[in-house]
Amino acid sequence: MPLQSKSFQRWLHGVAPHASTADVCRIAGIKRTTLAQQLVRGKVAESTLVSISRGFDINPVQALATFDLYAVLRGDPVPPTACELVSQVATVDLLRAVVERSQPGSIPAMVLSATPHPTAVRNWVDAIDDGELRHRVSQATGIAPQNFSAHLTANRLPPELAIATSRAAGVGPAGGLVAGGLITEAEAGWPPNARQEALDAMTQGELVTLAGERLQALGKTLRRQEQDHERTERIWENLG
Amino acid sequence: MTAVLPWATLVVCLAITIARLPSLLRGENRVLFYIFALMTLDILLSIEGPYLALDAVLGGVNVTNLILRFLLYGTFLLMGVKIAMGFASASAERAIRGPWGLTVLGLTVGLTTFFFVITDTRGSTVGMNGLTWGPSMEAYAALGRFYPGFVAACLLPAIWRTVTGRPPALLRGAAALLFVGLALLLVSQLFPLIPAVHLWLRSLINYSAVLATALGLAGIWLSKAYARRKTKNFDLGLSQKH
Repeated sequence: MPLQSKSFQRWLHGVAPHASTADVCRIAGIKRTTLAQQLVRGKVAESTLVSISRGFDINPVQALATFDLYAVLRGDPVPPTACELVSQVATVDLLRAVVERSQPGSIPAMVLSATPHPTAVRNWVDAIDDGELRHRVSQATGIAPQNFSAHLTANRLPPELAIATSRAAGVGPAGGLVAGGLITEAEAGWPPNARQEALDAMTQGELVTLAGERLQALGKTLRRQEQDHERTERIWENLG
Repeated sequence: MTAVLPWATLVVCLAITIARLPSLLRGENRVLFYIFALMTLDILLSIEGPYLALDAVLGGVNVTNLILRFLLYGTFLLMGVKIAMGFASASAERAIRGPWGLTVLGLTVGLTTFFFVITDTRGSTVGMNGLTWGPSMEAYAALGRFYPGFVAACLLPAIWRTVTGRPPALLRGAAALLFVGLALLLVSQLFPLIPAVHLWLRSLINYSAVLATALGLAGIWLSKAYARRKTKNFDLGLSQKH
């Protein structure tokens, strides 16, 4: 459940006591109608809070932490595990790393692309899963396993579910928010080079195995998309 | 309501047929134009005014109704084959235009003609509602409902798979509409169970079936046009967030 609009407004008043709603929306780069709608419904999306925080130069994680629902974010950030860091490296970057390891200097120096990547959510959950994680999450939150799976497939992770998942896995609370794209790695308090260092620390065997797993999963997704596409085209070809 | 429905259905079918004209001239999917044109003609002949006018010319013994039956069979044959091909159901295609399917059609046509001939059909009346209904008349009417129902039964599983699958939303909606239309044709097999005082219910089901089927087919076409218009960006999911 997103943020209660009452507590949101209290927070907003604390952050920008003199700004009008129009100013807030302009600074945060959000639509006035969106904010108005969320306020009327009584539930403000976390992404709205994050946009406003960024607009006013406040750390979004600290802003979220002022709400009871996200109390777990209070205090010093918990450093991410190596697995989590590597899970947030995009598949193409992993492949580049493989090439770079086997033939150093053959490709231009690379900078990892920003989080989140197209399969970030699933890779993050896989990285922290001990085999029972999905079960524990669905027990803790009441989400049906197939709905949880659907989120992973769509590369979506609602913030509340992200928190519940990290708690069930015993890792830092902000990792899921990074994977879900709500906040950046810097906002989560990850050191700027953490992902690159975690990647460099992998042995070649680990790296290649991981890249292989990613490719296999990607291949499956692509083949399914192609099949769906073919079916649709066939209908259109005959009946369009 | 039931007086407006036939005309509304006619207008919808005619509008879609006219909208298909440019595609016909360009030579794209001509069969689809013929299907819509046939549907329009079917509806036209099931409305009292046009029916009586044509039947008067043909001798006033309801031969028009027999012609309407044949037109309906033709419509469903064409539509069935085209839909089966589109929804990639080889079994449905075989069931409709394979030897068995054509045997079913041949028998239906033969028996329809037979029952028409042995029935006293004098006195032009739309839907033959004004005649005294004996067993041969019931059989004639049942055959007229049977073939569309047979085609619908062949197609429904494949359409359902598309409705519950992962195609674009607009296409799914159109397929759902088509599914409803064809499912109503199966429901219409139960017409003898509807008491004669509720004749309006029969025509409600019939016209809703045609309307949903026509709109569903047009919706598929629309979903294609819509998808083609959107600039397609077939992202391989490698580099960007989608």
